[in-house]
Amino acid sequence: MAKLVLHQLKKIYAKKDEKVYAVKNLNLDCSDGEFVALLGPSGCGKSTTLRMIAGLEEITEGDILIGGRKVNDLHPKDRNIGLAFENYAMYPPLSVYDNISFNLRAGGVQKKEIKQRINKIAELLDIQDLLDFKPGMLSGGQKQRVNIARALIREPEVLLLDEPLSHLDGKVRQKMRTEIKHLHTEINSTTIIVTHDQLEAMALADRIAIIKEGELQQFGTPYEVFNHPQNEFVAGFIGEPPMNIMEVLTIRNKGRLFFKTKNNVISFPVPDNYVQYVRENETYHFGIRPTDISVVEGEDFSVETNVSIFENLGEECRVHIRLEEQTMFSIVSSELLNLKQGDPVKLKFEQHRIHIFHPSSGERIENVLQEV
Amino acid sequence: MADIRLENISKRFNNDIALNDVNIEVKDKEFFIIFGPAGAGKTTLLNVIAGIHMPNHGAVYLQDQYINHVEPEDRNIAMVFEDYALYPHLSVFDNIASPLRSPRYKKPEPEIKKEVERVAEILNIEWLLERSPDQLSNGQRQRVGLGRALVREPNVYLMDEPITHLDAKLRHQMRAELKEMQKSLDTTTIYVTHDYLEALSLGDRIAVINEGQIMQVGTPEEVYFFPENEFVAGSFGEPEINIFEGDIMTSEQVDFSPFFGQSAFGFLPKEKQQVLGNKGLQTIRIGLRPKDIHFQFEPVNSKEYIKGKVFSFEPLGAKAVLTVEINGKYIRITMKYNEDISINQDVYIKIDLNTAIYFDELGNNLLSQFSAKRRGMAWQN
Repeated sequence: MAKLVLHQLKKIYAKKDEKVYAVKNLNLDCSDGEFVALLGPSGCGKSTTLRMIAGLEEITEGDILIGGRKVNDLHPKDRNIGLAFENYAMYPPLSVYDNISFNLRAGGVQKKEIKQRINKIAELLDIQDLLDFKPGMLSGGQKQRVNIARALIREPEVLLLDEPLSHLDGKVRQKMRTEIKHLHTEINSTTIIVTHDQLEAMALADRIAIIKEGELQQFGTPYEVFNHPQNEFVAGFIGEPPMNIMEVLTIRNKGRLFFKTKNNVISFPVPDNYVQYVRENETYHFGIRPTDISVVEGEDFSVETNVSIFENLGEECRVHIRLEEQTMFSIVSSELLNLKQGDPVKLKFEQHRIHIFHPSSGERIENVLQEV
Repeated sequence: MADIRLENISKRFNNDIALNDVNIEVKDKEFFIIFGPAGAGKTTLLNVIAGIHMPNHGAVYLQDQYINHVEPEDRNIAMVFEDYALYPHLSVFDNIASPLRSPRYKKPEPEIKKEVERVAEILNIEWLLERSPDQLSNGQRQRVGLGRALVREPNVYLMDEPITHLDAKLRHQMRAELKEMQKSLDTTTIYVTHDYLEALSLGDRIAVINEGQIMQVGTPEEVYFFPENEFVAGSFGEPEINIFEGDIMTSEQVDFSPFFGQSAFGFLPKEKQQVLGNKGLQTIRIGLRPKDIHFQFEPVNSKEYIKGKVFSFEPLGAKAVLTVEINGKYIRITMKYNEDISINQDVYIKIDLNTAIYFDELGNNLLSQFSAKRRGMAWQN
């Protein structure tokens, strides 16, 4: 167990005369025993970062410290890390037992000790009955468990998981996610997971580092990144269905500031907590999550409009309002609604759950003003 | 008019049974979903309807005509595939017009122009007709793909997982867009998917298929609220429904103690007591959706509550999944996000049978007939 620190980490590829930054000045401080997710779209540099931590990729600049020890120049096997990749790369002719113990045997660990350690790990991952099997006989979920067992057997200080669930389908994937979450509390080693699936990151991690084009966008708990996204990218990336984000103009009417969309479908007063941040006749990006809008009756509503599409999905209902050709505005309700296309509907926005972003930089508006 | 009837369809590939005695009736202009897991036989069924596969047994009728021996191209059926396979070098207009220019359906150019424009209007893509496919968004490409199917005015549309390969966020949007266009299709459509959200959202009716057999055919409400069996119950909803087994003690009391390894009781709601009691059952299986399970963290002294441990807690945004372990059984509960839950802490759950679905030992719904008649009531859960 150990702290993991990334300090000003850079990875630069030379492409002809051009320098391409795969990772730009990445700073991360992962506490001892913490579960951290590196999250971002494909090509954002998250796997490159993981590979640098593992020692499989050379560091262009910056430092990686495990337990206070700089590991930049250490061989992967000397870094005391465990790695589980997306593809399992097991030795097909060897049994599960031999696959898990391979590195220990290569390292000259006593047979008796190997047996003890494997039994312990096998129990933890519930693969006791599979130890004599060959990899070809295992299901996807079982293979991934063996794969993680193999990473854990050396009792690493840092466990690295590279998209461990993306090969699995539907229900197995969900079950495995739950198991990994539980496993982490049992082994309690600092764990880094790389994923492009925001639900996976939210479900598993203590903190999530959201990366875009090699740059860290936000590093925070699932609660923080969901409720206080620092920019529009994070706001749109976290959450499914995604946050509704639209362009609004501020206008003054009878002394009050209003947000309104270009086509006037939506117009409502600027919430009190934002009055100090927005100016008249300016464009902003307005965001609100589908779960922060409710369908109401009576006079206390934000917007009155018509249902474009209505979906009853069993556990929840979704209402969609078409704003423009390309923009749809969605509402998720856990209550059973009975609406259909064209029905008039009154929507109430949760005032304290509104997010305003700068239209060009995408920064959260409160942050922009603080910097001025 | 284009209704489709499948009677006793069976299809084997070598010794593998892909379809086993499938009976389905699709009504004219219905949006009909074929739903099931990978390998269930969905696509095989679609191919039998399209005429690509010949069934080993059974009959396919289109508008009451036996069509087993009619070639695919003579069935006037349009297929939309997962990848839209647009011609990259042709404009949107030419892509949509392509079926009308094929030797078989060849039409005069002025007519083609009228047809393409009609379809473009339905799909809201009039303004894109001059573009080439690489200038389109995913959603627009999808619409062009559909447009190419629409332009022929076929008897039936067959759609094979047209939006499955998109990521979750795009799927949310594309599903809504498909739903919006649905009315303008106005033609019998058979839609294959393994995504239960698509099935519930888009379907007039849904056929749930597993291992080549039809498990249930019903409206979205029927399959969600009144599943015929545990397979159907487990196919709709995420996380999936929890199933507990108990012994019927008296007309009102169910004992779950053997299942949970500790004293645990549930009480049958009054209106269910008689009809369940009359069946002379000893054991019963209870299905409870993750949002219908009561729980609390403070100890409680009641024989209805069962003590367990938090196995995992997974925040997913506005909601979260709490997994409780009791005696090696895992119970999944959906709840609001809460920052103060730690793994391995004690939690107490209550089996409230008011929102339960009742199954027999084989996993068949004991009350499916009964509940269907009382739908108005059961909706109130």
